[in-house]
Formats: sequence, structure tokens, C-alpha cells
Amino acid sequence: MDSRAAEVRAELRTVLGQQGHSVDNAREAMELVESALSEGVFERTAEIDQVLADLRLALEQDDGQKLGGKSAEAARFITKRLSQLLDDA
Amino acid sequence: MSGFLARGPKVSDEQKKRIPPGQYFTEKWPVLHYGSVPRVDLKTWTFKVWGEVDDPFEFGWAEFKQMPRKSLHTDIHCVTRWSRLDMDFEGVAIQTILERAKLRPTARFVVIHAEQGYTTNLPIEVLDDDDVMLADIADGAPLTPDHGYPLRLVVPKRYFWKSAKWVRGLEFTQVDKPGFWERYGYNNNADPWKEERFTDD
Repeated sequence: MDSRAAEVRAELRTVLGQQGHSVDNAREAMELVESALSEGVFERTAEIDQVLADLRLALEQDDGQKLGGKSAEAARFITKRLSQLLDDA
Repeated sequence: MSGFLARGPKVSDEQKKRIPPGQYFTEKWPVLHYGSVPRVDLKTWTFKVWGEVDDPFEFGWAEFKQMPRKSLHTDIHCVTRWSRLDMDFEGVAIQTILERAKLRPTARFVVIHAEQGYTTNLPIEVLDDDDVMLADIADGAPLTPDHGYPLRLVVPKRYFWKSAKWVRGLEFTQVDKPGFWERYGYNNNADPWKEERFTDD
């Protein structure tokens, strides 16, 4: 499981570092982490759950709404924290 | 060349003194928030006050509109570097809320709760200031949905993310609980005159 955890961490870094909009990268990162948590690669903690909940809120989008700079900034800040938490997990 | 001279409309010498370091002057009121704009029904809207208080309470929109009113003429400063001068807000002084709640001596901080789980935090001595208010009117008109309709906190002496939009409650606490942006790298104190933007500033 440790090697799988290392793979997920590396994949997460790739997703967060790739070209494109921070919001799209954050959505991909969230899917990746949710999936890893479901597989049991990492143990769910209250802090990880809080960070994911915050990220979900930041990425919430009404029909036809274009997410602005603050959503992108929030996505960058929150995914950075998420990545740190998984590095320590 | 400093930021406010390089960008935006011309400012007078008097106005320049009111613009904190690293900020530029704008006549617009930019809309900055993350996620979606909450839909609010005033019939079911409530505001809650709880935590380290002797008299926790909750009120609805009609009761809010019956509270003593206050006007405020002030400048506001956003962490994204714009400053807007000479804004007029109307609403209810924060002291009206504090007096009714009867804060316990153990109340040292407040967590401001807003729609969709957004929070921000302040020490009591920053909240309990003459220019802090719950505002429902800005520049003579009700707040627009983008700017926090129906109610936002206004804390002019701090970067404007502390002035939470769509505010729904105040939780008084013994210990400081970082809010949304504060958890992810924004400065906990957020004084624009000290340029306290991020945690490391």
C-alpha cells in the first residue's frame, strides 16, 4: 500500500503542476484523492475531510456561471494543503 | 512608481494618504468570491449568535430591520490590492449585537459564519470597534447578491475578506479558530496598513 500511496502522491503532484486552469486541475485532484481514500490508500482524517469539503465549496458552480479568480486561488491554496496532508499521511 | 499611481484613475494627495501600501485605487467595486452565489429567501433567513455569551439568540430579517440603524462612511481594502474610497454603508452597529448577547469574559475571539460554510475569524477587540457593522445597504442601495445580499459584515480596518458576505452568524470562542482563507495561507491579522496579506507576511 505504501507504493500505491507514493504513486498517488506523484500523480497528484503531476495533476497540480500540469498546464491548464487551476479549477480544472483541482477537480481532477479531488477525484484522484477521493478515489485513493475509497481504496484505503490513505486513512481518512478530520482534516482531510475538512480540506475536501472546502475544496468542493470553492469549486461549486451555478449553471452558466464562470468561476472567477478567487475560486482559482482557493483551488490552488487548498490543493497545496491537500498535497501536504497526503505527504504526511 | 507605486501601485496606485501606476494603475486606475487619478487620486488626490489626500486620497493617496488613505491608500495602504501595495494597494491601487479603484472607483469600481470588484466582485471577488469563490464558488457560487447563494440564493437567499428572507422568509426563512436567520442570524444566530452563540458561544461564549450569556444570552445566545437568533433573529430573522424582519427583526433585523427593526434594530437601531447606523451609517458608516469608510474606505475598504481588498487583499487582491484594490482599495475603494468613500463608501457608504448602512445597517446595524456590531455593538447592538454584542450588548444583546452579553459576552462572557471568556469570549476572546469570534468566528463569523456565512452561507455555504464560509468562515473568517477576528479577535474581539477588532470586532468591537466603532466602524464595524452588519450592513445591508451599500452606497444607498441594498447589497447585490454578488456583494453579499442580504447582509454582510463590514470591518474596514482589515482586508476585506474579513468582511464576510452572506453572513449568518457569530460564534464567540475562547480560542482563535482560523477561518476559510486563514486556514489556507491568508494572514490571520490582515491589517492592510501592515500589508499582512499572507501567513508569512
